[in-house]
Amino acid sequence: MAVFQAVRANQEESMRTLGQVKPWCAGILVGTVLAAGSLVPSSGFAQESVSVRAALVKGALPADDPSASAWNSTPASEFPMSPQVHWPNRIQEVTVKSVKVRALHDGQQIAVLLEYEDPSQDPDDAAGLEFMVGDKKAHFAHGQPMAQVQGGPVNIWYWKNKDNNALDMNAQGFGSLKVQDQQDVKAKGVYQNGTWKVVFSRALSTPDVEHDTQIKPGDFINIAFAIWDGKKLESGDLKEKGSQKAVSSWWYFRADPPPDYSAYYYVALAVGLAAGFQFVIIRKLKKGATS
Amino acid sequence: MKGGVFLKPAILIVGVYVFLKIVLPLFTAPLPASLIFLYLALTTTGIVIFATLSGPSTDAFFGPIVRFLTGEGQGGAAQGARIAVLLLFPVLVGWQTYTSTAPSDQPPAENRTIHPAPPGEYTGLSNPVPNTPENVMTGKGLYAAFCSPCHGGNFDGKGPASRGFNPPPANFSDPTTIAMLQESYLFWRIKKGGVGLPIEGMPWKSAMPRWEVELPDEWIWKIIMGEYDGAHQKPRTWE
Ligand code: HEC
Repeated sequence: MAVFQAVRANQEESMRTLGQVKPWCAGILVGTVLAAGSLVPSSGFAQESVSVRAALVKGALPADDPSASAWNSTPASEFPMSPQVHWPNRIQEVTVKSVKVRALHDGQQIAVLLEYEDPSQDPDDAAGLEFMVGDKKAHFAHGQPMAQVQGGPVNIWYWKNKDNNALDMNAQGFGSLKVQDQQDVKAKGVYQNGTWKVVFSRALSTPDVEHDTQIKPGDFINIAFAIWDGKKLESGDLKEKGSQKAVSSWWYFRADPPPDYSAYYYVALAVGLAAGFQFVIIRKLKKGATS
Repeated sequence: MKGGVFLKPAILIVGVYVFLKIVLPLFTAPLPASLIFLYLALTTTGIVIFATLSGPSTDAFFGPIVRFLTGEGQGGAAQGARIAVLLLFPVLVGWQTYTSTAPSDQPPAENRTIHPAPPGEYTGLSNPVPNTPENVMTGKGLYAAFCSPCHGGNFDGKGPASRGFNPPPANFSDPTTIAMLQESYLFWRIKKGGVGLPIEGMPWKSAMPRWEVELPDEWIWKIIMGEYDGAHQKPRTWE
């Protein structure tokens, strides 16, 4: 009985203090539930690559060396390639079925490495990267006009084995491909064991924002790929040329931003505040219970 | 029996979570985590308001919480649980802060509308070509020539040229593509292609050709017939 009464008294006392502290209790409760709610894992799903990530490197960028060892430690994304059957002249079968892509940047320059299998090395082998220019969306097939959306141009970085360098080009619609007056892109390819490795490089940003894609570290932009097997057929024609090529859809591309640790400072602050807040509440509750 | 007052709220919160996270996505697109979070917050707030409506219910609700937090007269398991909660709370707050302030590494989420509304002039058209075996045959022949590289000889979207395209070519044997659509809608999509889509259809990504520049209307209507027949689907009609 005595024990029971003591518990009762204790209970009544603590009830009396409740009046003052309720909102705080509610705070802890709501906070815990909310925080638990945020633990909900965002649905991670296994799939093929959807983006190319250019890691930030300190020191020299392997911008003109497709076989540099720095590339070996760079993770590759892989994208499937289709024969270009979207628009005449079509081609029903192409040599290259997929392309591996790696990228690095040093805060000034970006380097993008394509790697793909091609059984023969031919002077007319070629490869290209495509980007959107400016804020307007551009159709992946040469920025062709769209009926209900105002589109923008595409910027094409084109490499051909014969010249072993890049052309910086623009297009906005089929048949509008044009070499830029101001050439900003470099490219170099190396053929070895049935594999092409081609590295493209450029400054992240250029003054010519009307024609050149601008790469701002941290922002996702769109990228697409095209590859030509320039093998000479017995007829004398090239196996793949012009619109007859292997193509990809738009994928994402991002140059990683410099590391940002500010989130950790905010976390430390939040944990400190939460712990302090708990400490104060419980002290207050205890005082209330014993007074 | 101390936990009695919390049993119902706990069941309610878990129930709401399960409903939002598992049941609802069976019918619609999955909810973004931020929205689930908001609904849970509302539920929790509702429970607290409900529990504090009257003096006695307030006391019944907060009394056990106060005793639990102060640890008065507790021992063993209860004391352990108390310490766990006191540690967990700052950790959860920290985690919440991290997830909301850490810069995202993920590409932007895509919400492509697969079947946006067609322009007005493409609603309610009916196929002017008579549905005869010859016309269906002709349609299938044209389909094989022009469409099968992407949409597949089996109408399954897995043609030899489909692999590189994202979004992938539509799978006509799937009941959520042409079986849901009217012939009129197909006529629009085939004529105007991916570039004819409105902005919510993300026209810049679609490899679907704009066939009006290559095929006469009559061929398109025949292809539509051949396509439904080959995929064993029926066009949707006005009921
Ligand atoms: C270059 C590849 C390609 C070819 C060739 C092609 N399509 Fe498509 N088609 C696509 C892609 C990709 C989509 C999905 C994206 C979209 O809806 O625009 C699509 C979507 C469609 C849709 C919309 C289905 C839906 O559920 O909304 C129809 C109808 C269609 N195609 C019919 C045809 C017909 C008929 C032909 C031949 C005359 C054809 N396509 C040829 C790539 C192709």
